[in-house]
Amino acid sequence: MYLLAAHIPVLSPIFDALEAVMRHVLNWFHGSLGLGWAWSVVATTVVVRIILVPLVIRQLHSMQSLQQHAPEMKRIQQKYKHDKQKQNEELMKFYRENKINPAASCLPMLLQIPVFLSLYYTLRHFATNFLCLTPATRVLIPSGPNKGQLNAACEAIVHHTNLSFLHFVPSIADSTTAHWGGYALLVIYVASQMASGLFMAPTAQRSQRIIFMVMPLVFVFVIARFPAGLVLYWVTTNLWTVGQGLITRRLVQRTPAPTAEKRSSRTPPKEDDGTSENGASPEPIAPKPAPAANARPRQVRRKKSSGRRR
Amino acid sequence: MSVVLRAPRYAGIGLVWAWRLTFGALFPTTCKYEPSCSEYAIQAVRKHGLLKGSALAGWRLLRCNPWSHGGHDPA
Repeated sequence: MYLLAAHIPVLSPIFDALEAVMRHVLNWFHGSLGLGWAWSVVATTVVVRIILVPLVIRQLHSMQSLQQHAPEMKRIQQKYKHDKQKQNEELMKFYRENKINPAASCLPMLLQIPVFLSLYYTLRHFATNFLCLTPATRVLIPSGPNKGQLNAACEAIVHHTNLSFLHFVPSIADSTTAHWGGYALLVIYVASQMASGLFMAPTAQRSQRIIFMVMPLVFVFVIARFPAGLVLYWVTTNLWTVGQGLITRRLVQRTPAPTAEKRSSRTPPKEDDGTSENGASPEPIAPKPAPAANARPRQVRRKKSSGRRR
Repeated sequence: MSVVLRAPRYAGIGLVWAWRLTFGALFPTTCKYEPSCSEYAIQAVRKHGLLKGSALAGWRLLRCNPWSHGGHDPA
């Protein structure tokens, strides 16, 4: 599979630039820190995620204020429970008025796309554009029976470069399905993608959570044709998401009361339809034991760094 | 408006759907705006055409950052 966008004239300089940046980053990890190529990919992923950590902390804070305002929000949800659209609008207005950041924003998610694309192109052209950079070695044999093959000098360089990951994936530049290790990586990918989906959207509705479980199974067929290093990137970033979710849970305390309103607004109890709407609500409906049950609004205990400073 | 003139809009809307079905489906995030960024992009392109609509959608994406407060924001 080849991403067509790179062949659009206006866009190709952008893709070239992305690839060049990624090449420098990988080269730095490999050359200066002495990491293997596969571990350089992992390190790059980790750095990207570290850069995104401040956003996660912000997210944590908004979870806290969401919890503080839970009773008011419940009132709004009750008031407009028959008009989802209106309810949404009112909630959004409430967020704005109280300066709450309710949901994740789109931009950080998009910021990961350039990383993904640059890694894709760098790995695709790994041998020709990366390992064989001298004029003598970079030339592809353009036609003939060996069309598309590297010339001998470059071939030798590629042959002597260790592109393997933990001995079970022979080359991160090869297609994932080229070796059984790649299939193993794909299995890990599916598992990690499912897990991270659950961690990223702990309060999601059931139907949405089913999508997060099914989607990796569909996507795995696409991703199987990517270079193995790209799958390594996905696995790393997913595992980071899971780890981050676990740490967030530790930092966060569960509070007893106002947990059930999200559920109850989705499936309102029958007696609420009629008369007893006003007074009856404080009795919380026990949430079903779902994996998401831990992830209700919680309280951040304290950041470690603030303690150290004192 | 003729189908020919509307063709760029359909292309733009198709791109948004391509996003939704691929990367969008992998990142389970809810948008802080109403309508969501992708829905906004579709509405904007439908209403204002591909060029202006894309610009509006791009501006919306930039506004959809951790420092903004979201809210109701129709195209």
